[in-house]
Amino acid sequence: MAADLAGGGGGGAAAADPDGPDGVRMTWNAWPRSKVEASKCVIPVAACIAPIRASPSLLVLPYAPLRCKPPCAAVLNPFARVDFAARIWICPICFSRNHFPPHYAAISETNVPGELYPQCTTVEYAPPPHDAAAAAAAAAAAVPAPIFLFVLDTCLIEEELGFVKSAMRRALGLLPDHALVGLVTFGTQVHLHELGFSDLSKIYVFRGTKEISKEQILDQLGLFSAGIRPGAAGPPGYPKAGLQANGLHPSGSVNRFLLPASDCEYTLNALLDELQTDQWPVEAGNRSRRCTGVALSVAAGLLGACMPGTGARIIALVGGPCTEGPGMIVSKDLSEPVRSHKDLDKDAAPHFHKAVKFYDNLAKQLVNQGHVLDLFASALDQVGVAEMKVAVERTGGLVVLAESFGHPVFKDSFKRIFEDGEQSLGLSFNGTLEINCSKDIKIQGAIGPCTSLEKKGALCADTVIGQGNTTSWRMCGLDRSTCLTVFFDISPSERSSQPGIPNPQLYIQFLTNYQNPEGQMRLRVTTITRKWVDGSANTEELVEGFDQETAAVVLARYISLKMEMEEEFDATRWLDRSLIRLCSRFGDYRKDDPASFTLHPNFSIFPQFMFNLRRSQFVQVFNNSPDETAYFRMLLNRESITNSVVMIQPSLLSYSFNSPPAPALLDVASISADHILLLDAYFSVVIFHGMTIAQWRNMGYQNQPEHQAFAQLLQAPQDDAQIIIRDRFPVPRLVICDQHGSQARFLLAKLNPSATYNSAHEVAPGSDVIFTDDVSLQVFCEHLQRLAVQS
Amino acid sequence: MASSQPFPSGPPRPRPGFSPNPNPNPNPSAAADAIQNLQIGRPPPPSAVPGVAAAPPFTSPASRPGPPPAATSLSRPGHPPFASRPPPSSAPITSNGPPAFGLGAPRFPPPPPASQQMPPVSGPATIRAASPSAAPPQAQVARSFPGSPPSAHPPSSQPFMGPPPSSQPFMSPQLSSQPLMGPLSSRPFGGPPSSQPFGGPPSSRPFGGPPSSQPFGGPSSQPFGGLPASQPFSGLPASQPFSGLPASQPFSGPPASQPFSGPPASQPYTAPPMPFPGPPTSSSPFGTPSWQSQAQQGVPSMVSMQAPPRMFGMPPHTPGQTMASVPPVMGHSPLAGHQVSTPSKIDPNQIPRPVPSTSVVLFETRQGNQANIPPPATSDFIVKDNGNCSPRLMRCTMNQIPCTGDLLSTSSMPLALMVQPFALPHPSEEPIQVVDFGESGPLRCSRCKGYVNPFMRFVDQGRHFTCNLCGFTNETPRDYYCNLGPDGRRRDADERPELCRGTVEFVATKEYMVRDPMPAVFFFIIDVTMNAIQTGATAAACTAVSQALAELPEGPRTMVGVATFDSSIHFYNLKRASQQPLMLIVPDIQDVYTPLHTDLIVQLTECRQNLEQLLDSIPNMFENNRVTESAFGAAIKAGFLAMKPTGGKLLVFQSVLPSVGIGSLSSREAEGRTNISSGDKEAHKLLQPADKTLKTMAIEFAEYQVCVDIFLTTQTFVDIASISVVPRTTGGQVYYYYPFSAVSDTAKLYNDLRWNISRPQGFEAVMRVRCSQGLQVQEYSGNFCKRIPTDIDLPAIDCDKTIMVTFKHDDKFQEGSECGFQCALLYTTVYGQRRIRIINLSLPCTSMLSNLFRSADLDTQFACFLKQAANGVPTSPLSQVRDQITNLCINILHSYRKYCATVSSSGQLILPEALKLLPLYTLALVKSIGLRNDGRLDDRSYWISHVASLSISLAIPLVYPRMISIHDLASKEEDGSLLSATIPLSSEHINEDGIYLLENGEDGLIYVANMVNSDILQQLFGVSSADGIPTQLVLQQFDNDLSKKLNDVVNEIRRQRCSYLRLRLCRKGDPSGMFFFPYMVEDKAPGGLSYVEFLVHVHRQIQTKMA
Repeated sequence: MAADLAGGGGGGAAAADPDGPDGVRMTWNAWPRSKVEASKCVIPVAACIAPIRASPSLLVLPYAPLRCKPPCAAVLNPFARVDFAARIWICPICFSRNHFPPHYAAISETNVPGELYPQCTTVEYAPPPHDAAAAAAAAAAAVPAPIFLFVLDTCLIEEELGFVKSAMRRALGLLPDHALVGLVTFGTQVHLHELGFSDLSKIYVFRGTKEISKEQILDQLGLFSAGIRPGAAGPPGYPKAGLQANGLHPSGSVNRFLLPASDCEYTLNALLDELQTDQWPVEAGNRSRRCTGVALSVAAGLLGACMPGTGARIIALVGGPCTEGPGMIVSKDLSEPVRSHKDLDKDAAPHFHKAVKFYDNLAKQLVNQGHVLDLFASALDQVGVAEMKVAVERTGGLVVLAESFGHPVFKDSFKRIFEDGEQSLGLSFNGTLEINCSKDIKIQGAIGPCTSLEKKGALCADTVIGQGNTTSWRMCGLDRSTCLTVFFDISPSERSSQPGIPNPQLYIQFLTNYQNPEGQMRLRVTTITRKWVDGSANTEELVEGFDQETAAVVLARYISLKMEMEEEFDATRWLDRSLIRLCSRFGDYRKDDPASFTLHPNFSIFPQFMFNLRRSQFVQVFNNSPDETAYFRMLLNRESITNSVVMIQPSLLSYSFNSPPAPALLDVASISADHILLLDAYFSVVIFHGMTIAQWRNMGYQNQPEHQAFAQLLQAPQDDAQIIIRDRFPVPRLVICDQHGSQARFLLAKLNPSATYNSAHEVAPGSDVIFTDDVSLQVFCEHLQRLAVQS
Repeated sequence: MASSQPFPSGPPRPRPGFSPNPNPNPNPSAAADAIQNLQIGRPPPPSAVPGVAAAPPFTSPASRPGPPPAATSLSRPGHPPFASRPPPSSAPITSNGPPAFGLGAPRFPPPPPASQQMPPVSGPATIRAASPSAAPPQAQVARSFPGSPPSAHPPSSQPFMGPPPSSQPFMSPQLSSQPLMGPLSSRPFGGPPSSQPFGGPPSSRPFGGPPSSQPFGGPSSQPFGGLPASQPFSGLPASQPFSGLPASQPFSGPPASQPFSGPPASQPYTAPPMPFPGPPTSSSPFGTPSWQSQAQQGVPSMVSMQAPPRMFGMPPHTPGQTMASVPPVMGHSPLAGHQVSTPSKIDPNQIPRPVPSTSVVLFETRQGNQANIPPPATSDFIVKDNGNCSPRLMRCTMNQIPCTGDLLSTSSMPLALMVQPFALPHPSEEPIQVVDFGESGPLRCSRCKGYVNPFMRFVDQGRHFTCNLCGFTNETPRDYYCNLGPDGRRRDADERPELCRGTVEFVATKEYMVRDPMPAVFFFIIDVTMNAIQTGATAAACTAVSQALAELPEGPRTMVGVATFDSSIHFYNLKRASQQPLMLIVPDIQDVYTPLHTDLIVQLTECRQNLEQLLDSIPNMFENNRVTESAFGAAIKAGFLAMKPTGGKLLVFQSVLPSVGIGSLSSREAEGRTNISSGDKEAHKLLQPADKTLKTMAIEFAEYQVCVDIFLTTQTFVDIASISVVPRTTGGQVYYYYPFSAVSDTAKLYNDLRWNISRPQGFEAVMRVRCSQGLQVQEYSGNFCKRIPTDIDLPAIDCDKTIMVTFKHDDKFQEGSECGFQCALLYTTVYGQRRIRIINLSLPCTSMLSNLFRSADLDTQFACFLKQAANGVPTSPLSQVRDQITNLCINILHSYRKYCATVSSSGQLILPEALKLLPLYTLALVKSIGLRNDGRLDDRSYWISHVASLSISLAIPLVYPRMISIHDLASKEEDGSLLSATIPLSSEHINEDGIYLLENGEDGLIYVANMVNSDILQQLFGVSSADGIPTQLVLQQFDNDLSKKLNDVVNEIRRQRCSYLRLRLCRKGDPSGMFFFPYMVEDKAPGGLSYVEFLVHVHRQIQTKMA
């Protein structure tokens, strides 16, 4: 059976579009009717939604959506029952009857609008601007400009600064001409560069040690935005805001600092040429004084002078820990190391909570303004991602953690965010997600790059997971791969439990308002339906509706959250228990007979996921720094199910002369002297040459014409790796290594230790062993079987 | 009373500097008549006359090697005291003879005879070598010039002097008994003032000009528009007296001509690098006169040149010198009789008035082991330091020290020193010598830490020395040991400047440094608020700074920085070789900081070009600035932070009331006005700083050796009372341009700045004054910061700053002993050398009240009163301060009347000769801006802050300005009295067809009456009617004689005052005319007495007291 479980590795992700046309995946596709049943299911009922996933078949409707009467306000969808004669539609969610408005007069069975096509459960509305004036204005303003405010760390060594500069130059070259650009550099102090001043370079300098409020910043910069804001606030008013942002401003406006890229490219390049590393002296035995916190405050404050609803991102390039002022994570004294997980556990990180609180407030400010914080951290030591996580995640920002600004992980990732076309990340702004759902379903909250808008209502559950207490979330920044996990609670009300109208289906509608990369406001509506499963007897239906990949990912996200939120939380134990309970509930066995245990194929690889999750960086945090953990978790929370599964359980491909590349077991046994392995662990991609292959390569056979095949064999994993790397953001680290080489640890760490030094005597030649005391998958499964069948 | 006079040098000193009236009597007899006329108060003139006869002229001059200074002054025939005393017959000088005489020999400006030229060339050493007795007459002539050893004169050898010099001192007795009044009483022989030969034309002043002779010269015609510094005098005709002068101004850079007609080739500027642009001697940090450096031939320390073998503690060579036996006669002038009720009897023309001195006198500080009484501070003199310091550096309110405190309080006079440690020397004076004691540092008393000085007595074969300050006997260090000569002096005393000079500088050792000497740092902060931009103040400041850069000390130790401010502070990174400067804005004005660690303050050599460009572009850059708020407090704080590591000078140009950020102020003036009811009573509170913020800041500045100078180019109220705290605490000063006019004030701004940075100065200074046991320092007053009771901290000290030190008795002195004062100033030169300047003054002690009055120093005392009044203004109501000042005057005169006047007639107002001008000055002070009721708040505050550091020589004109007529300049030229023919400050002397120039060292008012000849107007102003003269006056030089003369006069005044006068046009019948009349202090004014009335008032008060 273990082999069975293992054999399914990677198979789950094979489907063409695992997320389906709607981009929604659920842990359970058939929902238990009662709360008790739900809790017996062990795995929470949750949906993972990629709100603006690119979809070729997406129908875009050039008019405003038709909404149900308040408070439901659900949008007309294919599940609505339509009475064509009466020109009436019944909302599937609240069962209200709505009249079609006059412009739907032509509706008939043969002439239905796009949103009613049964296959179009996901449509996007691109309504024209509300009124003619705005339309004209929008036209005049052409495309509204996104804002890129760069925040550069200058407490770097010359070489790193050089990398930053070249990355910046490349980025400037890629920026659309109309994009507004601003520049903040910081070290001991924060320098805000006024780009619109022609006489000489003008810099506003803020001290790094003092916390400074948005109002102070605006006041000190002579910016008073409030007065000139147009009436319309928020995303719907965007066109007007865009006009304002592009129109002629008085000199007191923020446009002194934010200029169209085409206007300030020369200035910026000149500035970059002259940019020096921080000139303040660093005493021996001290870290350089770096005031990341104030720099970000200043950036956020500056953007506060922009129109609300202007798409703006702060792109922070940070090369070390914040050592001064608010947001400080470690003191200047080098003898004090940056906090580790152990320190956090023991509450021995003196700056941690203060810093988190600071970034939390920063996040609130940015969310209020609708602006995004992207973090590019490149340093050998930690820079405080763990503290800044909250600000990045709440605003839906991007995060990249690399060792150096010269490393491809940074360089290529950084470039990606400015690329458009095929490679575009589809960076969008000002997203809000609203959820409407059938009665009896309550929303507990969401995990992922979003912030609760605290829009409470009947649909909110009492218990909260992640960003809760709301049916609406803001995603200041989102992109095509952004994914949120929404947790549901099943709590049937008195009335619905009456046998009166047994509605077999439940409906959930996701409404995502956002400003697409072109600057237009869109509303994407996804309506899904699932069926209720009645009674405890009907496990068969539940089992059929189980999505083990989603379940594994949701569990990983859930447990990460719990690890962060709950003190002394024993994740491994919790996972084990859950798994045992799940297996007890859904396994097929005779009591107390482990050998009789079997699992339905829908569950079959779940134990293996759990095995790998237990060993993963998400649970075994002590192998990583808090920064890395925060980084991994942020990506886990925002990536699609498929990608997240790879993070939990990497995929392994084996290349050899005799066969086409084939998935291999994620097991040390897959190592063979004449194979090349390609491991995709999401954050890193490892090409592992068996010993023989490595020797041949070292002898240069691939360069000899008669060994073309060998050259091709060597090349194949490289090409495949490039395919993986090209599509992924952040760009994974590519590790090319040989068997027994030092870099081989990147592979070995991920493999099932089926052969350890304890079992070394039976190892086949050319294979490998892992020096570990960890249990192997077999041992794990044996225990699981034994415990699951216990009465 | 005469018998007790212990030394010969104490003649009563009529003020030499002024002519009594514009229409001087042509002959003595006329003068006598005038005297008669003066006897309003039932004068008994004859009774006084006997005194003259009683004066035993001291007729054995040949036997006296060290005659009293007056005696030596062959060369200063015009020395007034002198002039006044000899009987007319014996004193050709004083009688009508003088004019010719004065023009002949001794005047400086004309090229001296060859023999006169000699001294500069040969240097003091050669001259000193001359044995005292052997000096040939020729040499004596030469002696009037710098290097001449006065001690070498046998009086008998004075060929031209009618009266034996020795006769001088004895003149005083005569005077003492003279019932005569007024200035003439001091010169019974009626030498008319005009006949005073001494009136060396002002142009002859070889020194003391403001650094830039340039601005005053040609510039008027081409005002500062990038006038190259190298041709300062381009505009002047070569024949002008001062065309030759610039060179003599040690601090003026380029112009190189010798003041004394030395050939240009001999110019000092070829000499080794000097601390100041001009003067070459390396031995003195401040430009020493050029000829001296030539003489020294670059020898850095003058030790070897210790000149005359005359010793200090030595008794007079000859017994004949028993000057002490000369009866100490008091000079006094009874002024008014009982009949005060008939003031009309007082002839206003005969009451005491200052008489301008016109000739240079030579003053030896000590003679015959006695301190000489120095000439008036306002006169022109050359000091020969032979034990006591130059009176320029330090002078006391009385030249004899009362033995007891009771005596002092009986006299009602103040006991205070005015210390001006960097006072500009006369170019003919010997430079201050620098002594290097090597590793061990200067020798000091081990108890009181007093520094070695000429008055320390070496005893026990030289093995021990006794401190003149605390009396402790110290052991002489082995390497300083020297045998005593037969006279009891060390044999090497004359080779060692510290043993024979009143003023020396010691090279400071490591022990005197807490860090390396700081570099010369100049940080400019310029206001760019809308107001400043629009009034042109920013442009003016930028231009001034840009041009003044050339005046900064050369070399790598000179650092500069610039910032601008409105409601935020803008720094500039100047160290960007290829690029334009970088502007760094500090927006947080509540809690400021510096935006860079380095590069804000850069070596001048590295950034000169960048800086000039920047200064050029600042006015344009902020052309459209609409910010009206000023963050002055934050700006200086930020500037300070930038300078904190080094210290230095912060020069701030400010135009509006600081309204935001730390240290912001409110418009208290307006508030005071709206709140009149409480305003009157509390009015003086508005003259106190609004709060403590700026004071606290200033103390911190001082701690880090940052000195702040503030240039207020404003047209509104800026609350100087609050702002001035910063300069006052940091050793800086306030410059006030109100109402600022870009047209007329740009030049002054530039010149003020230029003088500010180029004048002799020192940094990170600490000063302490020690005195002999018996006295103790009561208080220091001036611009400094005091953290511990004994020392004052001076982040910067310059030649214009004076510190007043008051003393009180804590013990008694023995009659005949001497009281020593020693001022020690530890400072860093602009070239980064650490020095200790030691200024010594030793004065005899007396228990005779009459001696005190006879040796009273009016100028010093009055400066003291002035400062006390200024200190009082912010804390008491004005009327009270005025009363206090008046009472001071009355008390002193009363004391004199009661204890010293021999005349029994109580009906006379009797003035001590030395203090005869006290009533006039007191009256003028009461009517001055600071004490008038009608002044603007800021004007009064400025006056207070200005007075605080004012030197004696400028204090007098500030209160009693000098007025001359300029419509008739052409005719005055003939008698060489361009500047000397001053007019009393009374509107009676203003003619309807006249144009007058009134100057007080700060402002120059040109008063144009309404019937002036249009020809003269055309010549002077280029317009034909008075209405056509622009109100914002810029004095131009037209191509005519009159205009040239006017320019010459103005330039001469500027040079004398070290200040670029702020010329202001006052037209009769125009509102501008109203500025002028308050200066007419002798007039009766609303709420103010006329001079005559005041004298009557004083007399009545004294009578009341006597009764």
